Amino acid sequence: MINQLFGNFLVKTGALTRDQLERAFETQKKVRVKLGLIAVTEKLMTLEQSEEVNKLQSVMDKRFGDIAVEKGYLTDDQVGRLLGLQGNQYLTFAQAVTDNGFMTLKEFENAFNEYQKALAFTATDMESLKSGDSDRIVPLFLPDDVEELQKEHILIAVRTLLRLIDSDAYIGRASWVSSINTKGVAFQCLVGDQNSDSKVALGFIGEDNALLSVADTFAKEEFEKVDLDSLDAVAEFINCINGMFATKVSSKTFLDMLPPIYREGSVTVTGGRMLKLPIYVDGNELQLLSTYDGMINI
Amino acid sequence: MSRILIVDDSRTSRKILRSILEDAGHEVIGEAMDGQDGVNKFKELRPDLVTLDITMPVMDGLEALRCIREVDGGAKVIMVTAAGQQNKMIDAIKLGASEFVTKPFEPDEIIKMVNKLVKVVE
Repeated sequence: MINQLFGNFLVKTGALTRDQLERAFETQKKVRVKLGLIAVTEKLMTLEQSEEVNKLQSVMDKRFGDIAVEKGYLTDDQVGRLLGLQGNQYLTFAQAVTDNGFMTLKEFENAFNEYQKALAFTATDMESLKSGDSDRIVPLFLPDDVEELQKEHILIAVRTLLRLIDSDAYIGRASWVSSINTKGVAFQCLVGDQNSDSKVALGFIGEDNALLSVADTFAKEEFEKVDLDSLDAVAEFINCINGMFATKVSSKTFLDMLPPIYREGSVTVTGGRMLKLPIYVDGNELQLLSTYDGMINI
Repeated sequence: MSRILIVDDSRTSRKILRSILEDAGHEVIGEAMDGQDGVNKFKELRPDLVTLDITMPVMDGLEALRCIREVDGGAKVIMVTAAGQQNKMIDAIKLGASEFVTKPFEPDEIIKMVNKLVKVVE
């Protein structure tokens, strides 16, 4: 997700063209990150030290890590940790962008600092972003006053979407809303049993045909428009998410899953205090709607 | 090969299930969109096996299971549900459900289950 988030920032600020970004994504699929780049981005070596080791490598039959240890730039433990980061999404993206000559590593790192300022993220937040772990990234885009259970519900939704719909999906900043006018909605409410008054709901909306990016992939079908058939597919996807959430919380409370609801055409969606999270799937913007201690209504 | 009735309010689920079952050589002899419709079609078609969604409007899967077992105490019924509905699964076991599958569907799991139950039928 970090490659999509930061990549789009680079396009927005003019550091990369859209075409360069797409090419970098293609390269990223094949890339194996060089240890030197990881060492520099992890701030264990300077760029100059990395370049020095690279030069030595060209005349010595030794691995980068071995030379860096010999020179006293890294310890064996650090080399081991850096090797573990070679599949990291941020680093593979950095490698893809620099290998293509679109930016130098210095420019890439400077741009990442600019990205931090633009989003007002802390250094810890940036480490979470660089981890590439959606469970660490998603909370950065949620308001501070989201309940833990609601956060867990959203994390499961994003994880499931990345797993079943689009592994390149990414998110925007979430916000609280009380009602939204849209065209086409699918959602499902879950209610506690007699021992609990829990009420939660999860839904998806999207302008134009954006919801088809979920419907088509989930149902393995090419729908022509957002109609009751395609919304049924979205609703079934939501049903799967909610099933996983109900399982997750089952040690604390039993949540009865009500039949999913979906409507085509213009509709006003209300939910008291609804969290709206933009999710970008296959180039389309969807909105994930989530309530906690309340239902979604239309 | 067995003759199967699919009862599910979701068109998507019915379509995916039909595809999985037909690809494995079974015949889907009917589809129903809610529990009441499912009970009626069970009486009419007398399938070898029923797949029955739990969460449905009009009549849910548990009530439909009870009605089907009243018609035929030996009916083979696979309950279909999203994960996280253990209480309802327990209720369904008490009512005589044969097996369970959870969404999203795993084709191998479903076929293995169907074949096992059909063998019993045959």
